[in-house]
Amino acid sequence: MYAIYLRHLAMMLVTLGWSRFWGRTRIRRYVWNHLSVLGDRFEYRGHGRELLIGFLLALLVVAAWSGLMYLVWRYVFHEKPFASFGLFDLFSLSVVLIGFPLAYVGHYAGLRYKLSRTRWRGIRCGMAGSAWGYGATATFLQFANAMTGYLLTPVVSVNLARPRIVNARVGTLGFIFAGRAGDIYGRYLGYYFLNIAAWVAAAVVTFMAIGGTIETLGISSDEFLKLFAHPSLRTVAAVLLIAVGAYLLFGLLILPLRCWWQAYLLRYLVTHSRAGNVLFATAISTWQMWGFLVLNYLIVLLTLGIGWPWVMHRTMKLIAGQLWIYGEPRGSEIRQPADRGPGYGEGLLDMFDVSGV
Amino acid sequence: MAARYYDGVTADVQDVMLKITTQELLICRPADSSVVVRWPVADMVVLGDSHHEAAPPLALRGSDARLVVEDPAWRAQLVSVVPALKPLALEPVKVGPRLGAYSLAIVALVGLFWNAVEYGSEYAVPLLPYTLQAKLGETVLDELLADKETCQGRAGLAAINRLANDLAGEAGYKHEVTVHIVEGGPVNAFTLPGSILVFYSDLITQAKDSSQVAGVLAHEIGHVVHDHPIKGVARAYGIDLLFKVLTGGYSDILSTFGTGGSALLAMRNGRAFEREADATGVRLLEQRGLRADGVSTFFEQMLEKEPADAATAAGIWSSHPPTRERIESTKRPPTGRPAFSAAEWQALRNVCK
Repeated sequence: MYAIYLRHLAMMLVTLGWSRFWGRTRIRRYVWNHLSVLGDRFEYRGHGRELLIGFLLALLVVAAWSGLMYLVWRYVFHEKPFASFGLFDLFSLSVVLIGFPLAYVGHYAGLRYKLSRTRWRGIRCGMAGSAWGYGATATFLQFANAMTGYLLTPVVSVNLARPRIVNARVGTLGFIFAGRAGDIYGRYLGYYFLNIAAWVAAAVVTFMAIGGTIETLGISSDEFLKLFAHPSLRTVAAVLLIAVGAYLLFGLLILPLRCWWQAYLLRYLVTHSRAGNVLFATAISTWQMWGFLVLNYLIVLLTLGIGWPWVMHRTMKLIAGQLWIYGEPRGSEIRQPADRGPGYGEGLLDMFDVSGV
Repeated sequence: MAARYYDGVTADVQDVMLKITTQELLICRPADSSVVVRWPVADMVVLGDSHHEAAPPLALRGSDARLVVEDPAWRAQLVSVVPALKPLALEPVKVGPRLGAYSLAIVALVGLFWNAVEYGSEYAVPLLPYTLQAKLGETVLDELLADKETCQGRAGLAAINRLANDLAGEAGYKHEVTVHIVEGGPVNAFTLPGSILVFYSDLITQAKDSSQVAGVLAHEIGHVVHDHPIKGVARAYGIDLLFKVLTGGYSDILSTFGTGGSALLAMRNGRAFEREADATGVRLLEQRGLRADGVSTFFEQMLEKEPADAATAAGIWSSHPPTRERIESTKRPPTGRPAFSAAEWQALRNVCK
């Protein structure tokens, strides 16, 4: 995978990023085909040109939106800025406003595209449902969640997972999801209040550590700031010290709590999903989730991105090792769908969101 | 030869045996060797290749049926009979040398890209249509001045615009420079694309004499004649693009990291631009036989007001060089003609009244 990834990176530099559609496709082909269920490998049959077309169409949408905003600027604002709110601000704000819901639409449509290009046992996967409907629901739920201090997170998690699970298909075989937000509220509230306590504790520890360290080292705050304004070996030492401190504080205090909740949520979502007579389960632990989230984060950060294939490999190994399947699907009952999926894909995802493989 | 066969109609899987001739592939049941299906060799295609897929599927053109041969030795045997199926068993690549070659290529390309941004912008940016630069500058100016009062004293504006265009002409600059004066502070001036200069009136009222205003104006003209505003935009965009391309959009963390790096590089570019504008400004004043000590005395005045010097304190995070360094590099004797006549200087002092 490293050879494919580095080739992709070199091509990105040569083409100023325009080769990313083909690079992603090559990486997906590799990853999909190295993953198998019941001894049968997945197959990725997407094409780079489909991603390029998707991106160009999204570019057209943004261009049309820019044109509309220019007309608003010209005929509503009469080209006169309101206070210091001018054309650039109008455009940036409007893009943020449409970008937020469009990123969710893009997530769903991107998933549809990826599934439509995925085959298992020669059978195409797919995704029903409306990406726009999902985008509207997700925008509303996320907004409501933010307005209520994130107390609606279980409702958001379950209600956004449901359409993605029940609309997914392997051929004509659909998935069923029996989760309810009420089931996971108890754990979430525990996490919610423990998380607040952990942040307060982290803030107290940080202030004590910084104050104590600076005093112990006999450095004034001016000298401390000078360290970063005029870098030297001492700056490197200070950065390392801060990084280790932050890692200890967040990696060992804040993130384990988050992983405790995330692992629980993932176990709940997986165990409440099934496809025909096939049941799914996972026993992913807080510790495994921590290893997945924190170590992956550190790998990407410390290798300046070059460790990304390693992260991908770790992720796939975790999925392969922790997603358990009970029951064998009745192959003869799963038929090839007539629907071939969208002709292009992921434009919105590429435009409004950081799109991984 | 064992394989797994999928008919493409249902998700049933069949373990099969293969028999191949140069004309057709027989897919048979292992139990009784009865034929499941015959595939004409001419219609068979390999989906993918063994460099990307662990076991590239074989398919029949126009059908969803698949055949997967897991064993690489058997795939090689198929290829030996039907060479057209070569992607099934490509020569394994030596990963080590390939990784080394790609890594070297990436390092070289980053270096090339960096130099293209650094030096390419120097020569390519001035070729941008001037009307576009002017439009960009005017749009930014409109936003900046939207909630501010500008000074309208005709004689004062005429004086400062006259000197600005004289200095630009001295440098062989072909476009007309326009100076706007904003009422109030801070004690500052800046340049926008399209030869647009903005002065704050506090700079004029707090100047000890006309040579300081002329010095600052000459410094800004330095930015104009070197196309610094548009070069700054181009370099910031180029470096941002480099970070984006390198991080591939795969990680929020790296994008954040990249943004910090871009900001630092923009500051470094800023310091280089300021040094060039200082040198050019002083040179233009001297070439016209005007007093050129105003730049350094203006900086001295700033340093008196703020001895700690924000630029020195901010170090690599500052967009301007340390003020002491700028004083040293622009220090000139108080000789030469005044840049403004007494009447012009008076009009400029009263430009907001």
